[in-house]
Amino acid sequence: MAAWRSLAGVQRLLGLPRRAARAASSGGAASSAALQVPPRASPAALTPAHAEEEDEEVSVYVKNPDWHGFDTDPVVDLWNMRLVFFFGFSITIVVGTAFVHYLPERGLVGWSRREAERQIKYREAHGLPLLDPNYYDPSKIVLPPEDEE
Amino acid sequence: MLKILLATAMLIPTALLIKPKHLFTTTSAYAMLITFLMLKWFEQPLNHKPHSTNTLMMLDNITTPLTTMSAWILPLMIIASQHHLVTEPVNRKRMFLATCATLQTTLIMTFTTTDLTMFYIMFEMTLVPTLILITRWGSQAERLNAGMYFLFYTLTGSLPLLIAILHLYVSNGHTTMLLLAMQNTLTPNMTMIMWLACMMAFMVKMPLYGLHLWLPKAHVEAPIAGSMILAAVLLKLGGYGIIRMIPLAPQMTQTMYFPFIVLSLWGMIMTSLICLRQTDLKSIIAYSSVSHMGLVIAATLINTPWSTAGAMILMIAHGLTSSLLFCLANTNYERTHTRTLLLTQGLLFILPLMTMWWLVASLMNMALPPTINLLGELMILSSLFNWNTTTIILTATTTLITATYSLYIFITTQRGTPLPNKVLTPTHTREHLLMTLHLVPLTLLITNPALMF
Repeated sequence: MAAWRSLAGVQRLLGLPRRAARAASSGGAASSAALQVPPRASPAALTPAHAEEEDEEVSVYVKNPDWHGFDTDPVVDLWNMRLVFFFGFSITIVVGTAFVHYLPERGLVGWSRREAERQIKYREAHGLPLLDPNYYDPSKIVLPPEDEE
Repeated sequence: MLKILLATAMLIPTALLIKPKHLFTTTSAYAMLITFLMLKWFEQPLNHKPHSTNTLMMLDNITTPLTTMSAWILPLMIIASQHHLVTEPVNRKRMFLATCATLQTTLIMTFTTTDLTMFYIMFEMTLVPTLILITRWGSQAERLNAGMYFLFYTLTGSLPLLIAILHLYVSNGHTTMLLLAMQNTLTPNMTMIMWLACMMAFMVKMPLYGLHLWLPKAHVEAPIAGSMILAAVLLKLGGYGIIRMIPLAPQMTQTMYFPFIVLSLWGMIMTSLICLRQTDLKSIIAYSSVSHMGLVIAATLINTPWSTAGAMILMIAHGLTSSLLFCLANTNYERTHTRTLLLTQGLLFILPLMTMWWLVASLMNMALPPTINLLGELMILSSLFNWNTTTIILTATTTLITATYSLYIFITTQRGTPLPNKVLTPTHTREHLLMTLHLVPLTLLITNPALMF
């Protein structure tokens, strides 16, 4: 039953014509236009800091026991919660973490470490010095003739 | 690169045109999707720094983490603001979201541009939406004063930067950061003036102790979204600018940095002590930001690989942590309508699950292992110690006081007897979601800190 109700919610969320009126909803576009806050009597007066304080007496949970804190309309509230959870957790955090984890490593740090260890093993096995003081092979460097000056 | 930028820019028409019923749902989900797509930027397999996709924009190890963090903060700002916008007419909600999206677009361009002139323009562009956020959606009349402080401190501080950039253009014929780092035709005196001019803008933005007075005002008066983006991203623009500018005059940094490092280290102690004397919850968090940023200033100025990496890590960690603290402060504010610490005691008995978030946030703020806050602080502390052993006295004292005021926030808000005559609504899913979305990246990043530097 609940699944059918939530499916009905999708239909309402997409703005399709609904079959039956529901007491707890804010309605379609026509009634949401009527819901617009009327302009204040004197624009010069400062806006009260907390206008919602008047209906603080009635808890929102009385009107909607499953309130998630997103919207006063229960359907919008529920779907906002679902979509934000889906895109926040399922997409960005779960898939995003997996994506970042399987990225090729940045800046070849791990590769150079593995290569260095391989070189050390090779050089120790063959009795070569670990670091050659000559970066280039001196026999291959062609120097200018000394009597040029 | 441009795809992400275009997607972010298209958030503005989305916020303005979409049906009112789908407004928050679409914008927050859209912003999260942008963050997800942005993770592609972390793919930098070869040691090519920076790797750019066009001539005007670049991505490197400094840009990518900061941009991704600011993209992640945007949906969190939207989610955090949903409650305090609920009484507003729909057009004002649209304007609010469009302002946030504009801010996000300019921030991405600030972080990714290669051109100094473009950087300056975008650096200033971020001021406008932030000023609108503070002066329009702040909750008290003092927000106008705070907006003036914010605008004029930052504008006055960055005017010398504009002159320095224009001078660089006249003498070099271009203002591309990458080329300027390689060839510098300025005389030593001009380099010194240019260095001071550049640093002035970023020190005000960071802010350096002594230039920080705009920050507590702006943070306290800003709405939750404004506080979040200010603490999380706008302060990091300063650190980003310093890291970018130092390669232009590395030798000059070595001779000029002493007064700045002394001020930042001393300022860390002073602002942490100021935290202990605050009566306003948001003000404590704001001063705590100044204190943490002092560490980042010192680390970026000594400019060693370790300290720069530590500065990057601390910037990311602090961005998420302070944003989380502001969100927590806002959940209290939405219920009690006061930020005064004395009036919000004993919340442990009323909102027990919130206490858990407060505890975790306080522990993150005081850099408890295994958070990346600790990693960043350790890297900065040890590189500063390596630079000069005396600094450990100042940095260790600050760490101690940071722990003290973090616990002070926790104890004053959560323990004690709650004031009578307060009917507080229970916590709801949105708030827990908000805290979790801050904390999950923070805890996940410790498993792969190399993403941040």
